[in-house]
Amino acid sequence: MTLAVREGVRGLGHAPSAPFADLEDAQVVQAFLDGRDRAFDELVTRYQTRLLNFIYRTVGDRERAEDLVQEVFIRIYRHLHRFDQTKKFSTWAYTIASNLAKNELRNRSRNPLVLFQTIKRNWDADHRPLQFEDSSSRPDDLFRKRHLRELVEQSVSQLPEHHRVVFVLRELEGKTYEEIAEITGCNLGTVKSRLNRARNNFAAIIAPHLD
Amino acid sequence: MNCCEFREKYSDFTDGLLAPREGLEANAHLSGCAACRRFDAALRTGLDALRSLPSVGLSHGFGPSLRRRLRGEFAIRLPVMARWSGAVGTLLLVATVGFIGWDLLESRASHRERAAWSTTTDNPVPVAVGDQVPTYSNRRPSPADLRFTTFHPLNSILETEAGRPTAAGDRPRLDVPAVWGGP
Repeated sequence: MTLAVREGVRGLGHAPSAPFADLEDAQVVQAFLDGRDRAFDELVTRYQTRLLNFIYRTVGDRERAEDLVQEVFIRIYRHLHRFDQTKKFSTWAYTIASNLAKNELRNRSRNPLVLFQTIKRNWDADHRPLQFEDSSSRPDDLFRKRHLRELVEQSVSQLPEHHRVVFVLRELEGKTYEEIAEITGCNLGTVKSRLNRARNNFAAIIAPHLD
Repeated sequence: MNCCEFREKYSDFTDGLLAPREGLEANAHLSGCAACRRFDAALRTGLDALRSLPSVGLSHGFGPSLRRRLRGEFAIRLPVMARWSGAVGTLLLVATVGFIGWDLLESRASHRERAAWSTTTDNPVPVAVGDQVPTYSNRRPSPADLRFTTFHPLNSILETEAGRPTAAGDRPRLDVPAVWGGP
């Protein structure tokens, strides 16, 4: 990594240079490795918001999510020279983000009570029969409409960690099953199983509040 | 297809990954099962609501903060690089100076040695042997000039370590060429 790379740091936060805006991720990465410092700024601009939303939806804490996004870019900057350019940069960036988010959730669960609740919730989510129970309780319509956003966010946060990551990557980030498998380090069957469980759990949580 | 089977295959069904025959069966079950229809509707509504949530934006301080951290990252790397390069450069410099100095010393030593034992000189020096009056010689003294001869001083009385006077004869004397510089 050359000294010239440091010049790129000054460009962070500014509008990306026009030459890089039309390039594919792989080309931008190569430009950065060739010493074109502004290319890193382009990578940050492209992925900062996406990674923030992914991590925020996973960990549920916006401030902490922003710290983790910074950490993602620090690690990218540190290890970009070792990145296998035959792979997708997007997948690599999300892999780093996913690992940091999971670490964050694990660190939070160090509390024994929280750990027990997490373990129990994960076990229930994996072993609950896939039955849909129609609830007779119907919350107020006004309440549902006014708090739908909060409800949906809470529903996602109530998903077990290993379901939540797959759910967010699929439903919000639009990743394919193969990409999710690579990001999470799981095989395709596990990804499909977890996604199915996540969708069922999400529906079971949110359904009583909807028509 | 029953409700359990439908739920098991629900993800592939919504993603359009079921085989044509299974897809038809899933659609048929969905049409005929109110509970699964409610489930399907709840999930789709929830996902629509989730995807319509506004994107979370970055704070104003994100860019400057990241810039500071990356500068710090580079600042950590640069002293390490500088230390290594400085250490290597210093070692090379010391090695070079040492080699040059050693080479100079070696060349001087060999020069002195050659000069000391050369057989001819421009400055002839006197060579004294035994009691002879030093005569000039146009050669430098050599190790062969250092020889022992017998000296018989007149009226010289030597005492041995035991105190007995002995004859002065046969006292060995090392004849050293008298050498002085200059013509």
